[in-house]
Amino acid sequence: MTAVIAAASLSKWYGNVLGLNDVTLEIEDGITGLLGPNGAGKSTFMKLITGQMKPNIGTVTVRGRKVWNNPELFQGIGFCPEQDVFYEDVTGWEFLTGLLRFYGYAGTEIRDRAARALDIVGLTADKDRLIRGYSRGMRQRIKFAQAVAHDPSILILDEPLSGLDPLGKRKLIRLIKGFRDQGRTVLVSSHVLPEIEALTSRIVLIHQGKILAQGDIPYVRELIEAHPHQISVRSSDPRALAARFVGDPSIQKMTFGPDGRTLVVETHKRDEFFGRLTGVVLEAGIEVDEISSPDDNLQSVFEYLVGK
Amino acid sequence: MATVREKGYSHWDGHLIERRFPWWPITRTGIQLAFRKKRFKIIFAGAFIPSVVFLVGLYISERLEDFKTFLQGSDRLINISPKYFATYFTNDSLLFLIVLVLAFGAGGLIADDLKHSSLQLYFSRPLSKKDYLIGKMSVIAFFVLILTALPGIVLIIFKLIFAGSFKFFLQYPWLPLSVLGFSALLTVFFGFYVLLLSSVSKNARYVLILIFGVYIFSNVLYGILQGIFRTPYMLLFSVPANLQQAGAFLFGQTLPRAVPAVWSFAVLAAICALSAVVLDRKIRSVEVIK
Repeated sequence: MTAVIAAASLSKWYGNVLGLNDVTLEIEDGITGLLGPNGAGKSTFMKLITGQMKPNIGTVTVRGRKVWNNPELFQGIGFCPEQDVFYEDVTGWEFLTGLLRFYGYAGTEIRDRAARALDIVGLTADKDRLIRGYSRGMRQRIKFAQAVAHDPSILILDEPLSGLDPLGKRKLIRLIKGFRDQGRTVLVSSHVLPEIEALTSRIVLIHQGKILAQGDIPYVRELIEAHPHQISVRSSDPRALAARFVGDPSIQKMTFGPDGRTLVVETHKRDEFFGRLTGVVLEAGIEVDEISSPDDNLQSVFEYLVGK
Repeated sequence: MATVREKGYSHWDGHLIERRFPWWPITRTGIQLAFRKKRFKIIFAGAFIPSVVFLVGLYISERLEDFKTFLQGSDRLINISPKYFATYFTNDSLLFLIVLVLAFGAGGLIADDLKHSSLQLYFSRPLSKKDYLIGKMSVIAFFVLILTALPGIVLIIFKLIFAGSFKFFLQYPWLPLSVLGFSALLTVFFGFYVLLLSSVSKNARYVLILIFGVYIFSNVLYGILQGIFRTPYMLLFSVPANLQQAGAFLFGQTLPRAVPAVWSFAVLAAICALSAVVLDRKIRSVEVIK
């Protein structure tokens, strides 16, 4: 599959501060989550792929066309920045219609598109209010509206869910997934792990301007073989279960949970462990209530990779 | 099994206007936002006072007999010639009013964009930095030309109407070109001047003070330096004095100070060039490290 967005050896620095360091990355159709803490280089990367900054080294292309100094490319890209970017004394309607004028639509088309975008984000009733009076959530939604109003095939969303209440987040997540289902490419950044998990399993982990890992969550998990997997087994007799595994060379460490029914195992060879676990449970006649991998989430993966 | 996604781009049947003037939305917004300020509307209306006064003078000049008792020997003042137009264009009050209008109407052109981080919205659209600057410059051109070229041409037309003949035009056929030339010079100079100062701060109020401050201080500096060095060349430090020199030259009048006009043109060009360099460096998306 041809990459929609491709970055090759991309570096950007601000004076002595390195914003992005030798990033090579390909982003395909669907939703890709860009995950990293504040200062990781997420916004720098997004600004580079939206042509707002020139890379010091490397190239970035969108659908094979270079981004820098190519404003026509942005007919098909929607960008939702993280910060508030409003003139406070204009209404939501004026904000949207003003920005739609850059695409060369006729007047009626501008009004239709603005109305549609406001409808998508549920701000139709508030379109004539000054943005000054908008709540944090409404501001996020109007920013999202300006990004989708021109019907772009690529959406770049910088922390779109920040500041939204749970209901607002759910609505926006549904909207973003709707865009994915229409075959569009969405790149969304966040430093909040559950937000990315709720949107996609395809992630790019970025830290200190470098890409630490990319792929879906299980793939990224495979990359960190050096760190043992944590598996939690809740059973009727965790100590008997532990006794069976004591001599197993694949086990690094075993601890008991505070409830007295949980055995927490750390192993490098997760598949091997699961293979043995079935036999052991059957042989010993231990009742297993739950098997979970508490660290098989994005938070754990991220913490392992950044060395926390 | 992999998810099969529907390629659901909506096919647009609307009419796409050819983007011949991609900067126009910037200009339109800039003008609209200026006229939302009540104070600006009052200043803008007041800025037409000189043109009204000069229009009245022009009318009186054609009806000298009717106004004889009021004029009492000062009829030479309203002798309509290129000097009359040069006086209109280069008098301190008109230049000050232009600065006033631009400070209140255009001071925030870039400062407000910087304040609201709007540049990243503009530059993630089909808009280049050049388009952006042309758009902003056009806002200034609108205000300057409406206070200079428009009244200048109107004054010439009314002169012909009041006189009832083309004699004046045939006598000075180059006058419309002088009007347009000096208006263009003011537009370009004030365009760069205001945009430069607008780009140095995110606070439009601070920019307003700067626009006035630099304009007035440059003239004060000229006065001080002239007092010290006793040479007319010190006028090169004064923004209004340089504009007046250039204006007098374009209208074919005796220069107000004994300094070749080319020096004033050079100073004005240097300010524009410096502004262009600074603007090129300052106008970029806000660089936030996250």
